[in-house]
Amino acid sequence: MKPSDLPGPETIQTDVAIVGSGGAGLMCALHLAERTPGSDVTVVSKGIVGKSGCTRMVQGGFNAVLDPSDSIEGHFADTLAGGYWLNDQDLAWALVNDAPKVIVELETRVGCFFDRTPDGRIHQKAFAGQTFDRTVHRGDLTGLEIMGRLRDQMFRIGVRELEDVRALDLVVEEGEVSGIAALDIRSGRPLLIGAKVVVMATGGAATMYSLATPAREKTGDGIAMCYRAGLELRDMEMLQFHPTGLLAGDSRLTGALLEEGLRGAGALLVNALGERFMVRYDPERMERSTRDVVSRASYTEIAAGRGTPAGGVLIDIASVLGTEEVRRRFPGMVDRTRQLGQDLSTGPVEVSPVAHFQMGGVVTDVDCRTELPGLLVAGEDSGGMHGANRLGGNGVAESTVFGARAGDTASEMLSGISTGTSKGASRGASTKGRPSIAAARGFFAKAFRALGADEGEHPMALSKELKELMWRRAGVVRDRANLVEALDALEDLSERCTRTRAPGPPQLNPTWQEAIDLENQVTAARCLVASALEREESRGAHYRSDFPETDNARWLRSVRVRAGEGGRPQIRTVPVELSRLAPPGHDATGDSGDSGGQARTSP
Amino acid sequence: MRSRTRPVGARAVGSLEVLVRRSESGKDDRFVVESHPGMKVLDVLVAIQRDHDPSLAFRYSCRVAMCGTCALRANGTSVLACQSSVPSGAKELRLAPLAGLPVLRDLVVDPAPFFARWAAVTPYPVPDAAVSAPAVVRPDSPERRTIDPALDCITCGICYSSCSVSDEGRDFLGPAALNRAMVLIADSRDTMRTERLARIGRLDGIDRCHYIGACSACCPKRIDPFDAIRRLRRWRVTGPPAAGAT
Ligand SMILES: Cc1cc2nc3c(=O)[nH]c(=O)nc-3n(C[C@H](O)[C@H](O)[C@H](O)COP(=O)(O)OP(=O)(O)OC[C@H]3O[C@@H](n4cnc5c(N)ncnc54)[C@H](O)[C@@H]3O)c2cc1C
Ligand code: FES
Repeated sequence: MKPSDLPGPETIQTDVAIVGSGGAGLMCALHLAERTPGSDVTVVSKGIVGKSGCTRMVQGGFNAVLDPSDSIEGHFADTLAGGYWLNDQDLAWALVNDAPKVIVELETRVGCFFDRTPDGRIHQKAFAGQTFDRTVHRGDLTGLEIMGRLRDQMFRIGVRELEDVRALDLVVEEGEVSGIAALDIRSGRPLLIGAKVVVMATGGAATMYSLATPAREKTGDGIAMCYRAGLELRDMEMLQFHPTGLLAGDSRLTGALLEEGLRGAGALLVNALGERFMVRYDPERMERSTRDVVSRASYTEIAAGRGTPAGGVLIDIASVLGTEEVRRRFPGMVDRTRQLGQDLSTGPVEVSPVAHFQMGGVVTDVDCRTELPGLLVAGEDSGGMHGANRLGGNGVAESTVFGARAGDTASEMLSGISTGTSKGASRGASTKGRPSIAAARGFFAKAFRALGADEGEHPMALSKELKELMWRRAGVVRDRANLVEALDALEDLSERCTRTRAPGPPQLNPTWQEAIDLENQVTAARCLVASALEREESRGAHYRSDFPETDNARWLRSVRVRAGEGGRPQIRTVPVELSRLAPPGHDATGDSGDSGGQARTSP
Repeated sequence: MRSRTRPVGARAVGSLEVLVRRSESGKDDRFVVESHPGMKVLDVLVAIQRDHDPSLAFRYSCRVAMCGTCALRANGTSVLACQSSVPSGAKELRLAPLAGLPVLRDLVVDPAPFFARWAAVTPYPVPDAAVSAPAVVRPDSPERRTIDPALDCITCGICYSSCSVSDEGRDFLGPAALNRAMVLIADSRDTMRTERLARIGRLDGIDRCHYIGACSACCPKRIDPFDAIRRLRRWRVTGPPAAGAT
């Protein structure tokens, strides 16, 4: 659409605009409404409120220290060891301390009911990488219980719900966020939302790979918006691959997960030659090894030609437990394989590593504040909490804990503004909250460009190209040559994305939405690849075949990326602050200089 | 090692004629897509969008039966598009939006009326403010045995849309909302159980149900709202179940 034909935006004024209605978004709304009753809260959601995003899809569960014989320190140490010591230790400390409080809040105030032990107490199960059984769950549909109940709380607190509305960009004026430029997907009309505080909680960008687990809305919108607004991202090379995603050819079911509990229960992984290949990668833990190791092993087998014709390996639990037991213990997983004409309870099923979770994200402090006044970031959009690898069960814990914290912080920021103290501004609230149309016009023009364009490429074809590129060149196993090629190809793609075409009307036009998604995905992908190129070692989810060792002496550093000239990623690295705990045997005399020549700019 | 039933990702084996209800014309558009074994209705829609009409509107998010946003009618039956296979050997598939909800575009409906009724039963618990620790409730207690099988509703709207009473446009809370009310009334942690029972006894409540049972027959999560309504009718006489004695 030509800029001259662009309809003027409808405007909405609110105190706090929360972008995203997953665990982080809705916990934020709940805490805000309780701390500051009467505040005007708007939830902006690209999909249906509470029914989009990945929190709803959580199967396994939620890590929290509840048992008196467990300890906060234990959960903390497991989280750092699992993250290969790249974690922001303050964030991880906040998580382990708040997680039990959030479980109690979900149970006693929100209405959740988690599975019980026979004597009626909350049951906690074993998850990989943890020294204590601390994963709270509700069957294998934990996310449904949490999101269903949180969604119902919205009826109680009465927030403004903008459903099927997507944020396009942050409007920043005089160094502060004044609101967001948005698009009403239903009507196809631009929307300008003025807000004193914006909370970004759009849930990351793991869908940029051809094999991926997350919900379809998660196209890196939050990451890309923050990047364009000049914020610094960290650890973007850390993208978790889950080892057991289903393969179903062209079907959308490809990438659906088989849960980690299968490996916990003794499932075998075999290649097309019938070999239990884990013996070559982790003879001690075998299939029970961590996600990163198992994913890499499967990937290596497949790449070496020992995979199945469709490019997978086989998971076999039926021959270990027997049909009856598999059906009894994993009914949901059996159903899922039957959907594909296979049956986990009678034979092996084909699986592959799949892109699952983005550990990297926007740099924040423990209260979700960022370097940009007025902007908070929570959930998967934020970075640092999980370091180089996320433990199963720490994801939903992160989104609800930091969603709640964002709500508390936003509430504090609002009271700073209303009491007229300068505290509000100095502590990060925007004093404006009224964006000017002029400041947002460029964002709308960019978003509307593809709609009805006379010519251009099909966004869906480009998106397929992006996903295949990322899978091939920046996936489970990486090296310099492939990453350099990927970066070049992404530069080309990012140019081609500005020349896509979306035929059809403005209302609920999926191809138009995909054109906008694509630009964000490519932006996040460039940050990922540039960061992966920088990290010349292997750690957690990031594996470089040209630098296969973990190098603590040089690389206990976090890779930071920010938009440089022409929007290109500009990199620096910052030493990890081992403020509470250091890895065993760590020599503190290693290089700790700062490649960017500046001290850590804490937000 | 046992052999698998079929190769995964099998190539196309046939062609399928698909008729899709379009909102702009009010008519069906006809497409021919290549079909493969195990193909889901959602795959059919994606194929149409990719190969024929990029502007076709439909909704989905999770693709694993958890979000409940992909519901539509396939050959007249309300199903989740992501879970429902194209019957093997089928030559024709007719797709239309879910009944009983306003169509926004093509196969996308507005769930607002469904959620308005859901909200009408006060779907959140009202806990005792003094309680500060998770309740001790045995998993084999009558209370949990009543609630657990009724809990995993994904609010897809299929029961609402398949219910002949809701469908007639008469004011009826509908099966999903009543099932939720049952879950809360059975929950000993809630302090508003008596008020809830009164609410669902009003004109638009349980007495509107004609005992046809379409809701339970069509639920993709195998929940039994019909049974929930029966319990509610019983509790209206007996009062809400005592804790642990549902
Ligand atoms: C299949 C699966 C299983 C998982 N299992 C577990 C588990 O067992 N345990 C665990 O701890 N973690 C698990 N995780 C990870 C966990 O889901 C995430 O860590 C967490 O839920 C992320 O929460 P969030 O609130 O940040 O984002 P999400 O819950 O993903 O929500 C994102 C929201 O943002 C909205 N949105 C996106 N873009 C825009 C935009 N531009 N404008 C407006 N809104 C937008 C979406 O519509 C959605 O509402 C799993 C993830 C997946 C995919
Ligand atoms: S896409 Fe979520 S239920 Fe079908």
